[in-house]
Amino acid sequence: MGTRFEPKGRIGRFVHEFEETAIAVLLGLMTLLAFVNVVLRYAFNSSLIWSLEVILILFSWLVIFGVSYAFKITSHLGVDAVTNLLPDRGKRICALLAGAVTIAYAFLLLKGSWDYWAPFAALDRTSGQWFPTGWENTRDQAWYVTDQVPPLRWLFGWLEPLINQGEVYEKMPRVVPYFILPFGSALILFRVVQAVVAVARGTRSSLIVSHEAEDEVAEAAETLKRQGA
Amino acid sequence: ACDDGEIVVKFSHVTNTDRHPKGIAAALLAERVNAEMDGTMCMEIFPNSTLYTDEQVLEAMLQGDVQLAAPSLSLFEPITKVFQVFDLPFMFKDINAVDAYQSSEDGQALLDSMQRRGLQGLGFWHNGMKQMSASVPLELPTDANGLKFRVQPSDVLVAQMEAIGASPQPMAFAEVYGALQTGVVDGQENTWSNIHGQKFFEVQDGITETNHGIIDYLVVAPVDWLDSLDADVRDQFLTILNEVTEARNSESTRVNEEAKEQILAAGGVVRQLTPEQRAAWVEAMKPVWAQFAEGIGQDVIDAAASYSN
Amino acid sequence: MEVVLLFVMIVGLLLLGVPIAVSLGFSSIVFLLAFSDTSLASIAQSFYQAMAGHYTLLAIPFFILASSFMSTGGVARRIIRFSIACVGHFRGGLAIAGVFACMMFAALSGSSPATVVAIGTIVIAAMKQAGYTKEFAAGVICNAGTLGILIPPSIVMVVYASATDVSVGRMFLAGVIPGLLAGFMLMVAIYIIAVKRNMPKGDFAGWAEVGASFRGAFWGLMLIAIIMLGIYGIPGVTGAIFTPTEAAAVASVYAFIVAMFVYRDIGPLAAKPAQSVGAAVAEGMDAPMGTPKSLLSHPQALITAFFHRDTRDTLLDAGKLTITLMFIIANALILKHVLTDEQIPQSIANAMLGAGLGPVTFLIMVNVILLIGGQFMEPSGLLVIVAPLVFPIAIELGIDPIHLGIIMVVNMEIGMITPPVGLNLFVTSGVAGMSMMAVVKAALPFLGVLFIFLIMVTYIPAISTWLPTLVMGPELIIK
Ligand code: NA
Ligand code: NA
Repeated sequence: MGTRFEPKGRIGRFVHEFEETAIAVLLGLMTLLAFVNVVLRYAFNSSLIWSLEVILILFSWLVIFGVSYAFKITSHLGVDAVTNLLPDRGKRICALLAGAVTIAYAFLLLKGSWDYWAPFAALDRTSGQWFPTGWENTRDQAWYVTDQVPPLRWLFGWLEPLINQGEVYEKMPRVVPYFILPFGSALILFRVVQAVVAVARGTRSSLIVSHEAEDEVAEAAETLKRQGA
Repeated sequence: ACDDGEIVVKFSHVTNTDRHPKGIAAALLAERVNAEMDGTMCMEIFPNSTLYTDEQVLEAMLQGDVQLAAPSLSLFEPITKVFQVFDLPFMFKDINAVDAYQSSEDGQALLDSMQRRGLQGLGFWHNGMKQMSASVPLELPTDANGLKFRVQPSDVLVAQMEAIGASPQPMAFAEVYGALQTGVVDGQENTWSNIHGQKFFEVQDGITETNHGIIDYLVVAPVDWLDSLDADVRDQFLTILNEVTEARNSESTRVNEEAKEQILAAGGVVRQLTPEQRAAWVEAMKPVWAQFAEGIGQDVIDAAASYSN
Repeated sequence: MEVVLLFVMIVGLLLLGVPIAVSLGFSSIVFLLAFSDTSLASIAQSFYQAMAGHYTLLAIPFFILASSFMSTGGVARRIIRFSIACVGHFRGGLAIAGVFACMMFAALSGSSPATVVAIGTIVIAAMKQAGYTKEFAAGVICNAGTLGILIPPSIVMVVYASATDVSVGRMFLAGVIPGLLAGFMLMVAIYIIAVKRNMPKGDFAGWAEVGASFRGAFWGLMLIAIIMLGIYGIPGVTGAIFTPTEAAAVASVYAFIVAMFVYRDIGPLAAKPAQSVGAAVAEGMDAPMGTPKSLLSHPQALITAFFHRDTRDTLLDAGKLTITLMFIIANALILKHVLTDEQIPQSIANAMLGAGLGPVTFLIMVNVILLIGGQFMEPSGLLVIVAPLVFPIAIELGIDPIHLGIIMVVNMEIGMITPPVGLNLFVTSGVAGMSMMAVVKAALPFLGVLFIFLIMVTYIPAISTWLPTLVMGPELIIK
């Protein structure tokens, strides 16, 4: 516990920097947008009718994107009271079993995410209840737009001929915000597999931390010790 | 719980089961289906948004995870614009005009308007005519000038509020009472039964009987699921549904009248408009029609309006 | 009984060391696929809608962010200085000041562990220096830290409000009196122990120090005023300005401005490069703060503050905590969706009401369920699961939803300091460098106080409901 994640290599550092900045920017945008809406309403008696929906979209982006990052830096919460009683070998076996369950979860989440998102992108779902067994002819939902989000046609206009039979989107199509599901789930699966491999190699001890303030506590305890308190 | 071999119909809605017009109708429907189609079909009701909210239920339906829902008409805006006709201010003079239009050939045609999107309308369920309330007396449209009104996130309703110089505010329904009470927003529009059920009248200066619009629900089912039913099962189911629809819709006026009486009895203030005042509201809001005529279709607007002449 | 299997599976996976969120989500998925024909896509929909469909939960990231800006650098230090100036001269004064400081910090922060880290690190060290035993210090802070979720704002209350559709504003108000009462009871208990054991007392530094330390802490404490007056308005002067969710966003922006331009502990105007939160806090009250730069001589800071590394790092810290909490809540919502889909809450409610359950037995049962559940689960995740199960029964039995919410929050508090698993026990043992069992023993006498408090809150509804009814009028119960 308590060891901060250190990215390795140039690409590793770049990716790490990107992930951290993306998380900060998403949260910052949510906050500013909510704040601006209060100011607009209170001071100018007006509102951005799309702001609520956009804030909520950013919120789900923040979390679904961030889950994979949290797997990477081992900050998901878990219970280690029982596994800590075991000898090292037992701990490792438990961590590997827990890893297998987590991989299965991430895999099922990815299949579910694809099946959910695909119709909005005019793509086919997978067949099969547990495992994808092939493609299933799916009723297209690419026409489905968000409630209030402006279409940003300069950015997403290319979707119209591609999936919406050339019809103009008057609001942003749902395929855009929902894209975070397959994208985020794929990242989660990738990070979980990476973590389990590291456990198998012995470079990482588990997938979890026992409480949310683990980093801060470790640091504070260290400083206290240094001061001889 | 359902028995093995029965066709399970999950009906997800967002209101209580014993006081709200939609909840009562849904409960009655389930009772009749489960009694009369025992062994063939089994309906499970999920009230109070416990399974899906109205915003999510149509997606779940297209996915095949729920078979019946009755969202309010403004929620179909992302799917088809034609239902915007029901949100246009002062489109119908009373609930009878709404009934007459809906049961006409033009009205029934609307039920099929989303077939290519995979949804089949099965019937309209009434909530009732909308009234307006605010923290100040509303008698003329100018009284609403500069006030903040909570509206459902619908383009038409936003335009309607802007037409009277009010500022439309998006807000989750659960927050409305608190927001009216504390003054975060000044007013809202709703039916008598909602105003009573949510106790909005307690935190408003009064309710003005504008009857300026309606809140109606569309009972929908997925086309693919309906197609998968045996013809006689489907017919029996739809017959029950139609009977429930008729029975409950004829009650809706009474339900709203009762709600209004109870508001008065609880000390709420209800304001009537003089014909001149009403004309001023109509005049202020009517320009909204032209704004949406292209999307809805002028023929649809004309047909709907013809029942209020 | 498939449901029993489901819960056994969840607990089994938790104990194996599977992340809490995954234990909940994986068990739900397996249950759903095995026992119904609902699609995996509905799981993905629930996951997405956990955030996008729950407007109330938006308050969580915003309150976490406000708290992050507030605990960067010296706010905790300034609050502690102020509280020592106020109550440090009583017998056991430093311990009492620790509780007082926890109460004030709890009013800035929505979480208990954060409160323990921020206040505990400084106060435990200071108490040792002043001659208290480490055990006593740890016991005090461990308990007082739990006030973080009882005194508003509170993440756990936001989750309860979202799960049951009661008003967040009302829940926050309902926490005020119980929070003050619990803090007061802890202080009295400390005072009695301190007199008996003849513990150290400080000197009264004079009213000038009270004034000076208050001025120091003022901008931090103003956050409380902004949140409360913004949500409820000033009676007779102005109506409310924003909803509780918006209040959280405004609080974040305010905390950013205070941290960057008033205290200047971080950002472009800071005297020295910012340290991590833990290090900054741990340096204690006497750490040199240096002289920060003036905005007049560095006007460009108005722009650069937004892009400063410290801003990004604080946003990232808050983002990380939001992500891990929301991942748990989202999966708890998936479990809730699966339970609803199988109509389980309904059958449990029918079974219990059919068995002739009374309000008293019911509340005891809720207490027991939460105390046991609190052993395995992060509090907000537990609430998401338990609230929908017990809420309909409570309404049927005529129990006030706000009252029920406060009972649940107090249960969560106690769960945080009872062995074997308790969030605050972990954090305190880490901060104080003590073994878990030592912290458990140290916390025990004060745990007794909180238990008495729980019984009071459970059986005297007015403690919770009086203030919200006074300010917001009688409650609206729709269901
Ligand atoms: Na708090
Ligand atoms: Na515990």
